[in-house]
Amino acid sequence: MPSQTTTPTLQVCRDCGGGAPVDAHFCPQCTKILSIGRHGDYFSFLGLARKLNFEPAELEQRFRTLSRQFHPDYFYNATPAERRASLERSSYLNDAYRTLKQPIARVDYLLQLEGFVARSPEEATKQVPPALLEEVFALNEELDEIRDLRASGAPVEEWKARLERARGPIEHKRDVHEAQLQELSARWDALLDARAGIVDRRPVLEALRDRVLERNYINNLLAGIEKELTTSA
Amino acid sequence: MSKVVGIDLGTTNSLVAYAKDGVPTVIRDRSGDALVPSIVSAAPDGTIYVGREAQRRLLTDAAHTVYSVKRFMGKGLDDVRDEASLLPFRVTGEAGGVVRIGLGDRELPPPDISAFILRDLKRRAEAFFAEQGEVDNEVDRAVITVPAYFNDAQRTATRDAGRIAGLDVMRIINEPTAASLAYGLDKRHTGLIAVYDFGGGTFDISILRVEDGVFQVLATGGDTHLGGDDIDLLLMHRVLAEVGWTQSAERIQEIRKAVIQAKWDLSDGEVAELNGKRFTRAEFDSLIRPIVDRTLEPCRQAIVDAGLEASQIDEVVLVGGSTRIPLVRRLVGELFGRTPHSELNPDEVVALGAAVQADILVTGSRELLLLDVTPLSLGIETLGGVMSKIIMRNSTIPATGSEMFTTGADNQTAVDIHVLQGERELVSDNRSLARFKLRGIPPMPAGLARVQVEFQIDANGILSVKAHELRTDVEQTIEVKPSYGLTDEEVERMLLESFEHAEADFAARLLIEARNEAETVILATEKSMRAPDFADIVRAELPEGQRQRIESALVDLKAVMEGEDRELIHEKTHTLNEATRLLAEVMMNRSVQAALSGRNVNDV
Repeated sequence: MPSQTTTPTLQVCRDCGGGAPVDAHFCPQCTKILSIGRHGDYFSFLGLARKLNFEPAELEQRFRTLSRQFHPDYFYNATPAERRASLERSSYLNDAYRTLKQPIARVDYLLQLEGFVARSPEEATKQVPPALLEEVFALNEELDEIRDLRASGAPVEEWKARLERARGPIEHKRDVHEAQLQELSARWDALLDARAGIVDRRPVLEALRDRVLERNYINNLLAGIEKELTTSA
Repeated sequence: MSKVVGIDLGTTNSLVAYAKDGVPTVIRDRSGDALVPSIVSAAPDGTIYVGREAQRRLLTDAAHTVYSVKRFMGKGLDDVRDEASLLPFRVTGEAGGVVRIGLGDRELPPPDISAFILRDLKRRAEAFFAEQGEVDNEVDRAVITVPAYFNDAQRTATRDAGRIAGLDVMRIINEPTAASLAYGLDKRHTGLIAVYDFGGGTFDISILRVEDGVFQVLATGGDTHLGGDDIDLLLMHRVLAEVGWTQSAERIQEIRKAVIQAKWDLSDGEVAELNGKRFTRAEFDSLIRPIVDRTLEPCRQAIVDAGLEASQIDEVVLVGGSTRIPLVRRLVGELFGRTPHSELNPDEVVALGAAVQADILVTGSRELLLLDVTPLSLGIETLGGVMSKIIMRNSTIPATGSEMFTTGADNQTAVDIHVLQGERELVSDNRSLARFKLRGIPPMPAGLARVQVEFQIDANGILSVKAHELRTDVEQTIEVKPSYGLTDEEVERMLLESFEHAEADFAARLLIEARNEAETVILATEKSMRAPDFADIVRAELPEGQRQRIESALVDLKAVMEGEDRELIHEKTHTLNEATRLLAEVMMNRSVQAALSGRNVNDV
């Protein structure tokens, strides 16, 4: 995995040709807004460490401060190059803010950044994660029975109650996952603070990736049950 | 320096405002009227009338008069077929193409009609700046507002209208956001604000967080086809059901005028008259309740989208004429659990906000900043007619999104892309924005090409697309065919045509003003001559032959008044004015004396 944290790259100001640190927004030499480079990431763009837990207010504050610096409103009278740079930078800021604001999207983004996105979303929903085999097997059996019950003309209340009950174990599993994600996130942040190497970080990232895949699968299961409940109402 | 303005281009009324030193003011005409009815009418000789004059023509020549054109902006014929029945003007166009509206003997796309209204506002502002003694009174740049829930096609159509009217549209901003800006100015609000904007043709709800002068929209929702017009239609149906459905266009407009009056009366009073019958507030409320209810669901959704609960909203602001309806105020108050604000005139607050935004753009002032969102998700068509979302709704704009495409056949050099806007699963349930053809892909085996298409929504909420093939780094050419919009060439052509018409439009306006003035003087003179003491005054106080001079000046003016010669009308008006000056003074003195002595002037 290439690590972007150890070797800071330079970006070049298109206006004066001077160099600027990768996460600078304005050229240190000519003070012009910099055209957005291909380097950096959402965290560094906002001046945040690559952590999974941070104060929401801090993100909001940074978002507002940066918006104030390069929103297109303030470059209406500027050169076309500066206007383009302001549009690019504002768009990137908004995308970064939106992604990091949501805890789930934040984990997804971190995994992608660290090169730990293994499977496509389509694959992830089709293949049952090993840790969920037992629950999924039990649920499918129960769903089959409920469908038979419905087909045999059982009262709505009866099979609906069973559907509701079937949801219980899956919801419990989801809560367990949420707690695990929380715990892993805290461990990731601690490793980052301790400047741990990739050998220590890899297992945490792999665990995070598996939990995320499982969580997506669980959410799909729950959505499936919900659909059964509403469409048959 | 030429001038910049903020324009609220409304369904029913439009208005223009400007800001000086950050303080916005609405521009009024001489009689103090700020509202220009969004109505355009074509006389048989091709003269175009806008505003009050066009509104009068609705009752005499409805077939050549267009109103509520905003409802047709960015629409296809299929979208509007149902509602065209009660409208006096023609609504045509090709199936699957942009709608066209009949104005006189011309068939014009909606932006062209809106451009007439914008030109009128532009002239109104220019006349105002000239009166203020500004050296350069030209208005060439504007911020124009649109409903927050307008899609890309509707926004683009609005920008096109501005360009056709000869305005550089600096920015398209959302009406509720503009309103919040006007409200936030003097009060330094901080906190969570809900703006409920219920106008003539559209409904919007926006939830904002205001902090450090940043007005950040968290979520927005609405219905671009729900407004006071729908309430009027309900009432019209009720009357037509009583008087019979086959009525002349002019009679229908009379009915429309009457139901609007009844609606207004019921905003203040408990009882109004409708078709000669008693019509109570309670009847009105139960009739319109379904329409008002339709505004509440988007409100609830927006609150959820913003990640909030209704009780967390600190303030609720009402915008748009339809919020004068008591039932609307009551239901909105109940939904949010607090009394809504309405200190500012709900008709004017949007234009004021637009003027503030225009001022920010020109001066580069960083005191305030609007951060708006895109109201609808943007996506592309994928296999099976399903929409795949690329930029989610309520994303802060500007925003970007990208998608990778590949080829399905060997040596395929082009890929078709269908861009959509909306929240539904199926392509057919969403709005088609444009179809692109990516060309110039280097020939290679199927599935090997990697074309990255980047979608950019700018601060106006308007989309642009670029693409390049990653393996060969070839930049793609994109042909954009907007599904319901005008091509750049069409806008260009209309702009040129409008220059040809502009001169005629301006002359027509001056002529109307001259006729109005003449009419005022004639009416005043005839009234004096009917006064009981007229003969007495002529005998006792006027010089020999003055009566004949007045009478002949009157006949002269009447003779030229219906003509086209504006100068001549002016001249004859002046003559009559001079001839009656002494008469007017004497009558004035007598009435003052009569008043002082406590006697009626008629008894003198």
